[in-house]
Amino acid sequence: MAIAGGTWRRILRMRVVYFLILCVLILIGSAYNYDILSMGMHKQLMIDVSLVLNTIAAILIAVSITFEIPKELKEGVASTLLSKPLGRTQYLVGKLVGIIVTGIVITGLITLGFMFVFNAAFGEVTSSMVKGHVLIMASVIPMSAIAVLFSVFIPEFLAATATVVAIWFAHATSSMSGVKFLYGGILPDLNLYNLRAEAVYGGISSGYILVALVWGIVFSVFATALASLIFSYKDLK
Amino acid sequence: MNVIETRNLTKYYGHFIWKKKEPALNRLTIEIPEGSVFGFLGPNGAGKTTTIRLLMDLIKPSEGEALLFGEPPDNLDIKRHIGFLPDNPVFSSYLSAYEFLDICAKLLRIPSSERKNRINEVSEIVKMTKHLKSKLGGFSRGMTQRIGIAQAILNRPKLLILDEPLVGLDPHGRQELKDIILEQKRNGTNVFFSSHILSDVEKMCDRISILYQGNLLCFGKLDDLLSQTGSRVHIKHGEDEIIKDLIPEATGTMRHSDGSWELVFQSKPETTLRLNEIKELHPKSITITPSRENLEDFFFRKIENAQAIA
Repeated sequence: MAIAGGTWRRILRMRVVYFLILCVLILIGSAYNYDILSMGMHKQLMIDVSLVLNTIAAILIAVSITFEIPKELKEGVASTLLSKPLGRTQYLVGKLVGIIVTGIVITGLITLGFMFVFNAAFGEVTSSMVKGHVLIMASVIPMSAIAVLFSVFIPEFLAATATVVAIWFAHATSSMSGVKFLYGGILPDLNLYNLRAEAVYGGISSGYILVALVWGIVFSVFATALASLIFSYKDLK
Repeated sequence: MNVIETRNLTKYYGHFIWKKKEPALNRLTIEIPEGSVFGFLGPNGAGKTTTIRLLMDLIKPSEGEALLFGEPPDNLDIKRHIGFLPDNPVFSSYLSAYEFLDICAKLLRIPSSERKNRINEVSEIVKMTKHLKSKLGGFSRGMTQRIGIAQAILNRPKLLILDEPLVGLDPHGRQELKDIILEQKRNGTNVFFSSHILSDVEKMCDRISILYQGNLLCFGKLDDLLSQTGSRVHIKHGEDEIIKDLIPEATGTMRHSDGSWELVFQSKPETTLRLNEIKELHPKSITITPSRENLEDFFFRKIENAQAIA
């Protein structure tokens, strides 16, 4: 948890995070003004925009770990930590937990901000909207695990690129249904967390959220175990 | 019990496809008993940092093994009793010194009731108390080195492993750090450190080893190693015949401004016999004293011999 706390502190001290949250909420709020352009569908548009922007925020938070871990390995910061009674797996799990908690908190803040803005605009907040955002929050778990996996053996910018590409592929599972090996367990099916239509019109059950959450956790365990195996053989600076 | 033991410890860098042919460390076998301040010497690229990284389980050996207090380096319980300062330490720049030491204290399982006091204690030892709330990213090299020492001694370690601890410090800082190391020794901590500053090693260490291109050149008690060097012969001015006779066997020569000569001889039985014979023939012209090289001379002689063989 000490390692997780360090990651939490790092992200919370980045001013760009607060700027991101503010921009997201402003963009969500601005959708209220598009009633004419959207032919009166601005309510649905606001929900859709909020889900998309929250997803982007979740991806950015997850990708941020691809800069932290390789940097710590390259500069020798990790060596000092690993000289303590801290196993390499514990180090990775600490980083993963730190980024997951931070990602959930930030997407949670965006969700709360969206509910406040939406309620101010339309005087209501439905459970399906909230559930849609809860799924985005849950998607932080498998995305962070992919990021940690790539961070362990690829330098920063390549790891970030590989993570973004992998997340993009993982979101595109419906259009790539013929390429089964990609989402047969190697990449997570992030479409499980992308229920925009249901968030607007209803139909997300609590049971579905639980299954998606458990699936994300199982995938993260798999990705972290693989990362740990690679990391155990890596020579550190 | 030996605090550090290595048996044929070897490291080749590179991947399994294109592994380098020459090992960075070649079959290192040493035993360091308890109660030592051990100096690990060698020129750049000798394998000192590689050895330390193997001892700290930061890299894996290609062959052989290392043991700390009889246990392999990946034993997490053993790491609770070890303090480590890497070469040119870098710490998380976004953390304050206190936060960083707090994280280290948590990793070392120091109880929460003792953590704050212990952090204040070590920061006092390294004279960084007034900088505890400052971010590590703004620290100078010397300040970072002091925080590095602080995190290494947080857990009152039984073994302190320091990689080039004196580099980057001004003379005042070096003296303070040497005092800290000697204080740790008085408290019962074993110290193992690598250094290029031979004069400091000679003053602080009771045992040393010298590495060159991954190979161990010598290992043992400093007094024993340096006492093996030979004899120093002073010859008065005017004794040219004696000088001509002895110079071919001397390993070092020096002519003083008064015309006298000083010759250095290695410790060999036949040399000692010959010198004694000459002394008997010319008792007033020559003076023989046992010579103990200083560590610097010993070090360079060993390296030059190794270079000649290579």
